[in-house]
Amino acid sequence: MKSSKVQQIDNSLYDSIIAGYRGKPGDLLSVLEDIQTATPHSYLTEPAIRYVAEKMKVPLSRIYSVITFYSFFNLNPQGDHTVTVCRGTACHTRGSRALLADIMIKLGLNEEETGGETSYTTDDMRFTVRTVACFGQCALAPVIAVDGVIFSHMTSEKLEAIIKKLSSAKKPVRRRNP
Amino acid sequence: MMRKKINIIIDGKDYLVDEGTTILNACKEVGINIPHLCYMEDVSSNASCAICCIEVKGSKKLVRSCSYSVWADMEITTNSERIRKARKTNLELILANHPDDCLKCDRNQNCELQKLAWELGVREQHYAKTRTKILPLDTSSPSLIRDPNKCILCNRCISVCSEVQTVNAIDVTGRGLHSRVTTFMDRGLGSSVCTNCGQCSLVCPTGAIVEKSDISSIWRDIYDPDIFTVIQTAPAIRIGIGEAMGMESGALVTGKMVAGIRKLGFDRVFDTQFTADLTIMEEGHELIKRISTGGTLPMITSCSPGWIKFIEHFFPQQLANISTCKSPQQMFGALAKTWYAEQAGLDPEKIRVISVMPCTAKKYEAERPEMNSAFHYWKERKKLKNRSGFPDVDYALTTRELARMFRETGLDFAGLPEEEFDNPLGKSTGAAVIFGATGGVMEAALRTAYEVLTGTTLDKVEFADVRGMEGIKEAEIDIKGKPVRVAVAHTLKNARKLLDEIKEGKSPYAFIEVMACPGGCLGGGGQPIPTTWEIRKKRAESIYREDINLGIRKSHENPEIQALYRDFLIKPLGEISHHLLHTSYSQKSV
Repeated sequence: MKSSKVQQIDNSLYDSIIAGYRGKPGDLLSVLEDIQTATPHSYLTEPAIRYVAEKMKVPLSRIYSVITFYSFFNLNPQGDHTVTVCRGTACHTRGSRALLADIMIKLGLNEEETGGETSYTTDDMRFTVRTVACFGQCALAPVIAVDGVIFSHMTSEKLEAIIKKLSSAKKPVRRRNP
Repeated sequence: MMRKKINIIIDGKDYLVDEGTTILNACKEVGINIPHLCYMEDVSSNASCAICCIEVKGSKKLVRSCSYSVWADMEITTNSERIRKARKTNLELILANHPDDCLKCDRNQNCELQKLAWELGVREQHYAKTRTKILPLDTSSPSLIRDPNKCILCNRCISVCSEVQTVNAIDVTGRGLHSRVTTFMDRGLGSSVCTNCGQCSLVCPTGAIVEKSDISSIWRDIYDPDIFTVIQTAPAIRIGIGEAMGMESGALVTGKMVAGIRKLGFDRVFDTQFTADLTIMEEGHELIKRISTGGTLPMITSCSPGWIKFIEHFFPQQLANISTCKSPQQMFGALAKTWYAEQAGLDPEKIRVISVMPCTAKKYEAERPEMNSAFHYWKERKKLKNRSGFPDVDYALTTRELARMFRETGLDFAGLPEEEFDNPLGKSTGAAVIFGATGGVMEAALRTAYEVLTGTTLDKVEFADVRGMEGIKEAEIDIKGKPVRVAVAHTLKNARKLLDEIKEGKSPYAFIEVMACPGGCLGGGGQPIPTTWEIRKKRAESIYREDINLGIRKSHENPEIQALYRDFLIKPLGEISHHLLHTSYSQKSV
């Protein structure tokens, strides 16, 4: 059966990742990081989480706690490119609110009122837009990060150009979260 | 082992205290109470609330006394303007994140947060409420309701679930302002490994975790003239309900409890202890059969539904070790709607069996789909008017809910006369009441098994080795020259140790008793709040006093049990027992 074969491949990958960190402090975080990075669309699937819980003898509730504590971890598939808009005070005063609104409209996303970090992914899985409380690059405000690379003194025009360039690119340059 | 004593100075006075103890406990030892909220002895010292702050000479900051150890010549101040103001401010900040609906809260007048707000003199709201939206309640569990809006993130529930029970159904999710206690993927307790033991509801300082109440349905049934209400009371209620009605800890109030319940309007007041005696008959014979026919050993008791769910989730390979006997609650329900219905000339579909249990997991147990033996019994005999099924036990109340029903009628509980249970399901022995304490089922089983196997009378019915609050207790008894080793565990953490032994093939025991809650049922998740070790010990003393009061102290000597076998069940482990009193278990995912 095809599905069971896929499962086997995944599990052997998980096994090797888990084995690589055995006995090291903070092993759970490293294992989750590696699994997320190795997973298409950069997220942690429920079967993967359950597998890690069983193999590493960590309760599911604890893993969920860890995953939801760190904004690095994703429970939903991410777009090929991640655009992270800084919503810190400095960026806010220099127009990051409008930048966020612009990119949302540009990508056809609807902003909803949610608690904590927000993350939106386009239906075609090309883009994920996220917010972050502060990058610590306030002197360069407003800043955004595209696939982990910081762009400073951002304007709507520059942003549009970046999006356009990424839209035409076939493969993601580099997939990383902030 | 004696701990080294060191000298410390509290509020200018010298005291000798144990080295290594926390400031909070050192102060408590010498009679100085430091107000605290998130800290709970033997459960949690999370240091999240900052109410227990004090001043230590040399430290610029206030120190949290719950998590800071004393050192020699430490100088502590417990009362100053700065401390009082800080405590009050910290509490007001917690209150800014807590709804002000005390009047409608289950824990009204029994809430640590409310009490502390009153004690620390909080009289106005200085801080604007921080919650921008109301979080949904978790009502997915048959036993418990969690209200994250009332949670103050003290982490006690997480500690008790993880450290005491090793279940780990809940943990904190998110961070900062968005931190919440929740289950894996927010799916709710009902979809988690939660065993419904309810220890979290006992330790919660607020109304964030409470039992799912069945009171309104029960009132409706009581007032319905077509419905015949039959109530059963677990052993641990008679030593718990007095406490919930304002009497001293561990007050033994069997007669008043019966009188009070009768005043509520139930048609018959019966005793789960009757079916506790019956459990001993069935379980005792099951043990004898397993030993003599080479069945799976050790056999483990099955009275505690939290324990059953635990093993179904975490040790499905060991399910054959569990006695097939239903718990006394479920045996009662099955008998009440079959044998008793027939005897009393009642329509089983019109009977409602209500139980009062020290337990939140009993609500879950009553709802388990296989617990409908009476329905099948009548269906096979083609005596049902309606084709829809009905459960053997309709509602399981906690001790706290019974107290609530008493209060709703304005009952003067302490002033009630002593009354007797109704018959035939009301007669019990000392062996049955001790089911309420850890080691009790074991002791009761030994009293009967010994006499049945040897044909001789026990000189001494007390088995001191299986009594007390030790986490795992062991005993060895000599039956006809053959030593039989038994063990008793309470809390699921201790049960897990014995199960690991079985899994590794190293268990030396023939019979094991497991109770999910600390202290056994007397410390159950449905018992009055607070339930501390000191209170558990008092409740246990009352249980063992009642054992002597009851006169007959061995289950097989209960005349009503003997009559039940003569008239209906024929013999232990017989055909009818198999259908009504025994059950099976199944693996559950984690």
